[in-house]
Amino acid sequence: MLTIDIRPDKLSEEMLDYSRKLGQGMENLMNAGHIDTGVTPREAVYREDKLVLYRYQTPEGITPQAVPLLIVYALVNRPYMTDIQENRSTIKGLLATGQDVYLIDWGYPDQADRALTLDDYINGYIDRCVDHIREAHGVDQINILGICQGGAFSLCYSALHPDKVKNLVTMVTPVDFKTPDNLLSAWVQNVDVDLAVDTMGNIPGELLNWTFLSLKPFSLTGQKYVNMVDLLGDPEQVKNFLRMEKWIFDSPDQAGETFRQFIKDFYQHNGFIEGGVVIGGREVDLKAITCPILNIYALQDHLVPPDASRALKGRTGSPDYTELAFPGGHIGIYVSGKAQKEVTPAIGKWLNARS
Amino acid sequence: MSETGIFPNDWLELQRKYWESWTELSRKASGAAAPAINPWEAALDQWWKALSPAAPELARDFMGKLMDQGKAFFALAEGYTKNLATMPAGLGSGDGWTALSRTLEDLQKAFTGAVTGGVQEGDDASRRLMAFWELPYDNWQRMVSSLSLVPGDVLRNMPHAHLNQALSAPGLGYTREEQAQYQDLLRRGIEYQQALQEYLQFFSGLGVKSVGRMRDFLEAQDKPIESARALYDSWVSCCEQVYGEEVKTPEYARINGRLINAQMAVKQRLAIIVDEALGAMNMPTRSELRTLQDRLQETRREYKALRGEVEALKRQLGGEPRPALVRTAAAPAAAPKKAPAARRTAAKPAPAKGSARTPAK
Repeated sequence: MLTIDIRPDKLSEEMLDYSRKLGQGMENLMNAGHIDTGVTPREAVYREDKLVLYRYQTPEGITPQAVPLLIVYALVNRPYMTDIQENRSTIKGLLATGQDVYLIDWGYPDQADRALTLDDYINGYIDRCVDHIREAHGVDQINILGICQGGAFSLCYSALHPDKVKNLVTMVTPVDFKTPDNLLSAWVQNVDVDLAVDTMGNIPGELLNWTFLSLKPFSLTGQKYVNMVDLLGDPEQVKNFLRMEKWIFDSPDQAGETFRQFIKDFYQHNGFIEGGVVIGGREVDLKAITCPILNIYALQDHLVPPDASRALKGRTGSPDYTELAFPGGHIGIYVSGKAQKEVTPAIGKWLNARS
Repeated sequence: MSETGIFPNDWLELQRKYWESWTELSRKASGAAAPAINPWEAALDQWWKALSPAAPELARDFMGKLMDQGKAFFALAEGYTKNLATMPAGLGSGDGWTALSRTLEDLQKAFTGAVTGGVQEGDDASRRLMAFWELPYDNWQRMVSSLSLVPGDVLRNMPHAHLNQALSAPGLGYTREEQAQYQDLLRRGIEYQQALQEYLQFFSGLGVKSVGRMRDFLEAQDKPIESARALYDSWVSCCEQVYGEEVKTPEYARINGRLINAQMAVKQRLAIIVDEALGAMNMPTRSELRTLQDRLQETRREYKALRGEVEALKRQLGGEPRPALVRTAAAPAAAPKKAPAARRTAAKPAPAKGSARTPAK
């Protein structure tokens, strides 16, 4: 039998201590001020509609690789996650390994963007960004790093434009959308996506927030805030927490037609596995990807389960396929201290050996 | 009340006296008077109402969540303490487990009462912990409210017992189309209400399961529970486990899908009614705007494809220079504004799929 050793006097002290921390910490909270995001200097080198292509500044003393790297982030959430704070920046880590880093910021779609399709994003925006970088550097091919849904886009792009991609890195990227442990996929099977998009046009970010929080509601909307009390005494930790909060709830709306196609083709029909994904009149065939691939996934990822990512193995035409498993979650793979030490150096090393 | 810093010192003093009272009670024989109602909630709510308008928006939302979750944490500790205080023989080695068991029993009764529809009088702590299982519904309601001009639960108590029959009657006369619209809206409202009820019913059953899981979980542990926080974390872990198992089931997927689809169906009919009203006022409607958007997007695709082909042809003919390039890494400076780079391949027009599909009127 479990020993319960909660003595009333200890309990009383614990409750008072909690109250004290909350009271003292509130002052740090009230004085937190503006929450800034993104720490690495960059310049906007290309714009189209709401898209901005950024190029990050190479640190002093580092000569960048000849083959530039384009980061394709998901449409869901904002890309400043990759550069969220000074000691938690995937961008900084990649720059330190000598990568010449570009990133697509998709912006905040509004109803004027409702009719954008996957073809517009992949064969349109991404392709024009790739062409811009190729021309700027005088190269025929670039490296691409796709993150989550951006990884799925990158796989589609690499399959449709294999001549332009030298190396491909996918991070926490779903390939098999119907693994048994994929809650998002299970939930969306009964959702009438056509009705949702026809009704709302763009899919609001709030709806996506609700969906993601519903994966673990008690931890993500409950326990997290109780645990937060222990950090309230440190203004820096308060700012770090608020920065993450900002990112979690800073969800852009999703262009309606893109959302329709992505959910139907991938989540409902599992397009990478079953086939039948047609973008711009051409079918996406993963076997057309022949460049080296580094596939990174997170072992405790509740959004993109490891098996969903591991399914990429053996499905492409690449003779040089490598996997990297990270012991963390979907977000931790970017922001944890361990990830800064393990993941970005590994990516840099892998790319440098092939660029 | 004197105030230094954010929390009044008097409030902290009241807290101290409250918790010390429970401590003292546990050392005395039963029959001693229970301490006054915990000043935590009342004083904190009062303070928060005064302070929140001045707080920055991000901090305000966050602090609100902090308050709500703190109450759940305190509720668990309070429930345990109250049961510990009623132990007739004072402190003993088995009393902690007995007090915990009673706390869990109280919770189980509270949840069972909610499931069977009875209102359980008695322990405030148990009722507050039951509210923990309202988190999923609370999250849904906040989300729906953010997407709507009306509160998220406006249809929650809409009566429908005999309404279905009335709504089946066909409209008559010149306004039959309009009647049919509103009948359809009400039918969809009823469907949404039923979907919401089913969703809530699903979760109320899980509260009972989570208490049982907590008991099993704690019995299987070999480490002692030494703090209220450990107790709370165990409670959260059990709730999350039960939740995770149940929401994986096809039944929940069906319930979840039904809820979302029902909400969308209501919004769809409302959008059509609003469009009708706008049209009657000779104002642009959403349907018209969408048609224009689709046509414009199609035109832009064709334009970009043509432009790419023209620029490729120009380069082929050798007469035109490439578009201005951005400087490379050696000289980082602000890039001048430039036209989008030429497309290498002409994109085929996307299939025309974007026109809004509205049910036949």
